Amino acid sequence: MKKYSNIKIVAALLLVLVSAVRCSHDYPIDEDGLLVTTRASCYVSNFDLLGTDFISVVTSTTVIPATPTTPAVPSTRNVVIDTTAQTISVQVALGTDLKNLYPQFTLVTDAKLNPKITGKTDFSDLANPRKWTVISGNRKVRKEYTVTVTVQQ
Amino acid sequence: MIFAVACGDDKYQVPSAKREFQDDCIKRSLGPNLVNYRLEFAYAMALPQDMGKIVSAQVEASIPGVVDLVTPTNGTFLEHRAYSTDGGGNDKPVQVADPSSTEGGLTQVNFTRDTFAVTLRYYYKIPPEAKGQSVNFTFSATDSNGKTVSMKMGPYTVSSMDMTLDSIVTDNTDMYISISDMSIYTAAQAAANPDKIDLVYLYRALVQPPAPAAALTFKHALVAPAVDPTYLPGVTLPAGVNKNTKIIKVLSLRDQQLARLQYGIFIDDLDFKNLDTSTASNFAINLKNEAGTWVETADGQYRAYIYINAVNDASKNMRISMKRLKLF
Repeated sequence: MKKYSNIKIVAALLLVLVSAVRCSHDYPIDEDGLLVTTRASCYVSNFDLLGTDFISVVTSTTVIPATPTTPAVPSTRNVVIDTTAQTISVQVALGTDLKNLYPQFTLVTDAKLNPKITGKTDFSDLANPRKWTVISGNRKVRKEYTVTVTVQQ
Repeated sequence: MIFAVACGDDKYQVPSAKREFQDDCIKRSLGPNLVNYRLEFAYAMALPQDMGKIVSAQVEASIPGVVDLVTPTNGTFLEHRAYSTDGGGNDKPVQVADPSSTEGGLTQVNFTRDTFAVTLRYYYKIPPEAKGQSVNFTFSATDSNGKTVSMKMGPYTVSSMDMTLDSIVTDNTDMYISISDMSIYTAAQAAANPDKIDLVYLYRALVQPPAPAAALTFKHALVAPAVDPTYLPGVTLPAGVNKNTKIIKVLSLRDQQLARLQYGIFIDDLDFKNLDTSTASNFAINLKNEAGTWVETADGQYRAYIYINAVNDASKNMRISMKRLKLF
């Protein structure tokens, strides 16, 4: 065993050396340590609201069955994201605890959200909708989205 | 090359047994130690066959456990049978001693069959006076040479929580829940004790608007008496029933002791102490099987977790189990 120990040490040093020289590119990163890229797209692609039980509280339309003259209309979630007007309208179920909701945004590649979502968010002030800013991958485009919540009656 | 040289086999030697009387112990029960429920231990003792046999085994608890005189195996006792498992996974007993006797904290068995190695189970039913305290156990065994081995287990903290299982709440009849005495009341009983009522159970099937309007569901609900009337449709509360209880709806928190399902989740005293109820609402509707609610009474004296074991839409009732901690 002993005669191999020197070889092992040399091999280990070589590995360290190789890994050290291979990763020396400097990519630009922002204040959060996230990669700044060249993408300028800036929009919200999907949105959801979860209750304290981590189940979506967003309502879905009921299916309209097909008739002899019209095809069936499938169920869709009651979330409307308008990327031009920069609004998100969402209908939540009767009995939703508006003070304790977890918003979930899906953003375009490389974009980020400000302020960050760290936990429960209070949506109970229906007259003053909450706002979030989407920042593009190159960190140069900023778009403010307004999230309007309505409760099912 | 590195991989080739790095894996040398170590030589294995079968260890030789010690030539002495030995013992070992494990605690088999898991989760918070609740009053009136049992701790379970397995105590193993053995000596080489040619050195003699085991004469007696005993356990001393620092706080005497509850003894059931009618059915001793429901209370505190030390097994007088050794168990093995058959091919079907069933326990097969072999009697090795007379049934145990318990005096104060001391539970003892005397062996009646020549035994040199055995594992005995010990059950300790936690007495109400142990609540919030810690309890220790000393397991010991004596062999025919007069040698005694012993082992200390613990301390185990006994929970300050209370638990009730499988209460049935029914819409329109047994619909008023008290956290302070952990029981269910009818409207007439609630009218007599309005200050005890913390929650109202109700079941409503709402009228569904025509498609494509979203499905409107209310179904099984637990609400505070002081909730917005939207959540008490068609309910006239008895006079004085007006507490504003805090409620947080949760799903998939299937406490093992409440649900008695396969999930290894336990709600402990600490979970109640650390619970943040600052933004809690006062209603939870559309409750389903295996869901639950955290509850804090209006005066902040009690926190509870109500687990929903089963819901029944047709008979408009729910089977619930509750853990509760008194905070002050």
